[in-house]
Amino acid sequence: MKITGFRAETYLMKMDRPVGDANLPGGVEMLPGSILYLDTDAGLTGISLGYGGAAVESLFSVIEGADPRETVALWIRMNDFLHKAGNEGAACAALSAIDMALWDLKAKIAGEPLWRTLGAKEGRVKAYASGLDYCLSDDELFAFYRRMAERGIRDGKLKVGLDLKADLRRLGIMRDALGIATPRPGLMIDANEYWSPKQAVRYVRQLERKFKLLWVEEPARRWDYHGLALVSRQVGAKVASGENLHTLRDVYPLIANRAVEVLNVWTGQSGVTGLRQIAHMAHVHGIEVSMMNAQANYMAQVAAALPNHTMMEVVDPGREHCLRFDNRVEDGHIVMGDAPGFGVEVDEAKLRALQADPPTGRGKFPFPRREGAGLYLVPPAPGEVPWARGQA
Amino acid sequence: MKITAADLFRQPDGCILRLSTDSGVTGIAIGTAAAAATARRLAKSVLVGADPRAVTGLWQQMTRAGASRGDRSRRRAAALLDLALWDLKARANREPLWRTLGGARPRAHAYASCAGRFRGDDELSAWFRHMASAHGLHAGKLTVGRDDRADQGRIARMRDALSQASPYPELMIDAERRWSADQAVRRLRAMERRFDLVWVEGIARASDARGLKRVSDSIAGAVCVGAGFAGISQFLPHLRQRSADVVQIDIGAVGITAALQIADAAYGLELPVTLAAVAGNIHAQVAGVMPNCMSVEIVDPDPPSWLASDLRVAGGRAIAGDLPGNGLRLVTA
Repeated sequence: MKITGFRAETYLMKMDRPVGDANLPGGVEMLPGSILYLDTDAGLTGISLGYGGAAVESLFSVIEGADPRETVALWIRMNDFLHKAGNEGAACAALSAIDMALWDLKAKIAGEPLWRTLGAKEGRVKAYASGLDYCLSDDELFAFYRRMAERGIRDGKLKVGLDLKADLRRLGIMRDALGIATPRPGLMIDANEYWSPKQAVRYVRQLERKFKLLWVEEPARRWDYHGLALVSRQVGAKVASGENLHTLRDVYPLIANRAVEVLNVWTGQSGVTGLRQIAHMAHVHGIEVSMMNAQANYMAQVAAALPNHTMMEVVDPGREHCLRFDNRVEDGHIVMGDAPGFGVEVDEAKLRALQADPPTGRGKFPFPRREGAGLYLVPPAPGEVPWARGQA
Repeated sequence: MKITAADLFRQPDGCILRLSTDSGVTGIAIGTAAAAATARRLAKSVLVGADPRAVTGLWQQMTRAGASRGDRSRRRAAALLDLALWDLKARANREPLWRTLGGARPRAHAYASCAGRFRGDDELSAWFRHMASAHGLHAGKLTVGRDDRADQGRIARMRDALSQASPYPELMIDAERRWSADQAVRRLRAMERRFDLVWVEGIARASDARGLKRVSDSIAGAVCVGAGFAGISQFLPHLRQRSADVVQIDIGAVGITAALQIADAAYGLELPVTLAAVAGNIHAQVAGVMPNCMSVEIVDPDPPSWLASDLRVAGGRAIAGDLPGNGLRLVTA
């Protein structure tokens, strides 16, 4: 079997609701989507989501004509090809996307879901709810976590970092909403690198006077292993980080310096192959990993087979308008069906419609860094978020 | 698909474990007789009735069952079952194991290892000459540690024999734990005045990460660590202390699933991995998915009489074939 061609599609969609964090608390509604298709001479097509519009052409030439089942060998080939300039930036996005499409193909060729190809026992992964919710009103916040709790989810992660009083109030809202699933919901927070390490320690300690926290995510900059380690030693919560690092090389200092206790992994970390390397390395060092949210939750397929996976982030902003997928969230888990590969199909008609007539809405990825980050707090101004109070 | 039985067949120099399934596909692995009985018990409690394609998940289940007891024979048994499960998964896919793992056809850089055999010097020379001329191997590993002068004479013999295959023979030594770290530094410095050693292994106690780090800081060659390790936790101190310059993994002792995990951990530190000799040389199947695999050890390029293998050693490399599974078949007399 041979890889014969590729097709890269981009589109813009308006999610069903906005998402926001400390860097952009007002949130965005618009999601730039992208799909990479890899074709074979056997008629099977592998797909991956979210390549981000990177130029895949030069990397594709490295794997053209190869057997798509040789996923890891092709990853090595692409990584070696990128040797001098490095597996970074747009090249890393393209490598990640190609690698994922290859794994999708490998499982499709075997006629089985990817979790089985990867050797998982079952297509089932524990989920936690994540509202990407700084832009939600208190009522919307409650509604989101209650909706998730109704599907058995017992843990939630709140966007925080700008306004201590509001964050305390909203942590209580999240806890109460999840309370129907369990008497003791697991609470997590995510500051998206808005703080300096010492700001993080002060802020998290204040929150911990009232709430027990499972983990605090990105309390300091992604590379700052000294700072992250300092936070880890001074707060009760575990420190989670890693989603903005893209290779094993980049993640290694966090592991070697015991800077994190949970590593966030996702597809952009050099694909299935690359993130599995990270997870394996973490496993050897006794560190847990947590799969980041993904359109259609398709990365649950990979999470299911990681030896040290704790739980996967589930968000539901509604960003699957042109996708069909074979999984559902029930009983607190992402439960995958038997559809081959990632279990995701593209609704080509809807994709064409989005491309022909792009919707409009507020904001767009990527998130910029907010004023004051790492220096001083800039709470949301009145009107910036639904919950900010006027200073009268 | 479900596993229906785990059978053991004893051989004069080892044992064969066979997993059978309700779909007729089987998987085999070759192990030591010592691990056999435990393997059968473990298979009965964990594997029978399970879907064999869930190799990674079953590995977790087996290690959870055994790790808490820290029981070495149990870990060896789990490794044996893991090898058989991977064979089974590949056979169920009707493809060679290297492809199931995501590799391209492996052509693993191989080295000849005397593994404590060949007491006589002429015997030793003859064997390395044969490995060089018949299999193209220009890398070799010698067991040392008894007598410095005799050791150096034998290293020279190995070098001369391997020179047939390359002007740059690669030399490695295994001291089989006869030296402390301090002794090792003195002896190896003397040895390195005469020989360029790729790596040394079997020095000091395997758990002495500080001692091994001191050796590494004192000699030019690499310190190779990992021979005989039976679980990922034994590797961790050496990764943390950087006391291993080369990480040796024995898939017969740790299994394929854990070997992949350890190799990735080493890859993150830019450390090369070498795979220890294993019955039937099935390590060649795995080498292709380790981006940092520097070599595989060959003690015997040919399988024992009761085994057929489509893995061969030629042109200095261990090459896997197209037979579904790990490439081994039992020879029925």
